[in-house]
Amino acid sequence: MIECKNLTKIFKDTTVLNQVNFTCKKGELIVLKGASGSGKSTLLSLIAGLAKPTSGEVIVEAKQISKMADNFVSLYRRENIGFIFQKYNLISTLSVYNNIITPLIPSNPDEKKLNTRVDELLKMLFMESKKDMIVKNLSGGEQQRVVIARALINNPSIIIADEPTANLDTKLSLDFIEIVKKLKNKNRAIIIATHDPLFFDLDFCDRVVEMRDGRCF
Amino acid sequence: MFLTPEIIAIYILNALFLVFGFFAFIISIKIVKSWDISLTSPTQYKLEKEAILASTIIKYIFILKIPLFLFFIFTSDKVSAVLTGAMCAAGVVNSVGFGMWLVVFKIVNLFIFGFWLALHATDMKDEKLSLTKLKFYIFIPAFFLLVAEILYEVLFFSSLDITRIVSCCGAIFSAASSSSISFVFTLSQSTTIVAFYLSFLLLLLGWFLKKEALFLFANILFFIVALFSLILFFGTYIYELPTHKCPFCFLQKDYYFIGYLLYITLFMGTLSGVNGSVLTIIKPNYSQSFYKTSLIFISIYTFIVSVYPVLFYIKNGVWL
Repeated sequence: MIECKNLTKIFKDTTVLNQVNFTCKKGELIVLKGASGSGKSTLLSLIAGLAKPTSGEVIVEAKQISKMADNFVSLYRRENIGFIFQKYNLISTLSVYNNIITPLIPSNPDEKKLNTRVDELLKMLFMESKKDMIVKNLSGGEQQRVVIARALINNPSIIIADEPTANLDTKLSLDFIEIVKKLKNKNRAIIIATHDPLFFDLDFCDRVVEMRDGRCF
Repeated sequence: MFLTPEIIAIYILNALFLVFGFFAFIISIKIVKSWDISLTSPTQYKLEKEAILASTIIKYIFILKIPLFLFFIFTSDKVSAVLTGAMCAAGVVNSVGFGMWLVVFKIVNLFIFGFWLALHATDMKDEKLSLTKLKFYIFIPAFFLLVAEILYEVLFFSSLDITRIVSCCGAIFSAASSSSISFVFTLSQSTTIVAFYLSFLLLLLGWFLKKEALFLFANILFFIVALFSLILFFGTYIYELPTHKCPFCFLQKDYYFIGYLLYITLFMGTLSGVNGSVLTIIKPNYSQSFYKTSLIFISIYTFIVSVYPVLFYIKNGVWL
């Protein structure tokens, strides 16, 4: 499903990714582990089409994402990717509902269907009662669940999470892992970049890939 | 040097166009030399990023150049107030030897720039960026045309001499004149009208048969014939004066600025027809909606110019 070939990313004089080869199949859960600066987030950004590589290619379902024009990459992201950011990137003054639907605004979806979909997601994340609350009034764990709902609103085939538990305590991290398990059962490709040890011994994780100095091991 | 706020604005914009255009020109040369979309090398990725930057620069230069043509005419029209003898932009334009040719050159450039914009818009809709290299190939000569136009324009405004008495449009646009377009007035009025409506029918035929080569030819023909017929026939009904054959005066307030509407609809119609036809030839699966866009604008133009003589006849019972 996802194939990265000889992927290199250089920022000024720093080689962040160095000839990385990486694959992820449909329904697979891959944990990328590695210290800060090892290239995990950069690899995720390239897979999500948020950045272009310096050389090499990213192929998702036979489409060369790294060679696509920006407007097509945006469309690809909107249709296929659910991205869970480390820093949440929520709009703090908007409600839970409005934050969740943000990725779909450009495609002008049907309001009724959207509402039903948001209700489904909030139910799955045990957040039904928080639908109309302003995001800044939520706790860290609740905000993170809003981020998950936002990542899932477009029903993506690929879920990418960058340090999803970095701001959570152990209990909330375990809650998050439960949600990941549910998502994996829905046959989605999931890639999680983390250095949280909780993820390294998950029984439902297919592979743990270690990243060091811009390379995968 | 003769300066007005409008001329200064044109100079400033031209300077910006030259600086940014040159930057895009350098990138264009690199793209033409090294672009290969199948490669995943650092050079190719760098070119892809630079292509976006250069396309954006070129796009905005060319988009601005389109209304700036009307602004050039508007400026010339305003300058006519200080040039002894000039009654409208015609006197000003004709006061410099190459003035009329500058206008023709600008019109040709407008079509080239307009085509580039259409090509760019089509390329942006193509996931594989298959037209990118062609787009930058075309920009290289287009940049030289842009530079030439800017230089001519600067030369034109700096050659204006307010102490010289110039001819008014009545003198310039007559068969007796020695102006650069006096040959137009040797054409017969009736031939021009017949040619105008026949070329309109040819456009309809091109649309009906969906033959892009025919539609392209018909659009170019219609544009030329429409300009001639506007000067020789329809314009006289706008002015309600059989001897007044100026293509500029109806841009003035006295005629409710109708000239702007006429030129915009004529340009938009023929530009979309030409662009669509050429792009269909280059890219056979190109959207056929250009036929409709072109015909809508051209029909509006044809309707407006046709209404003037009819209304005149209804009011006065005679033809001019």
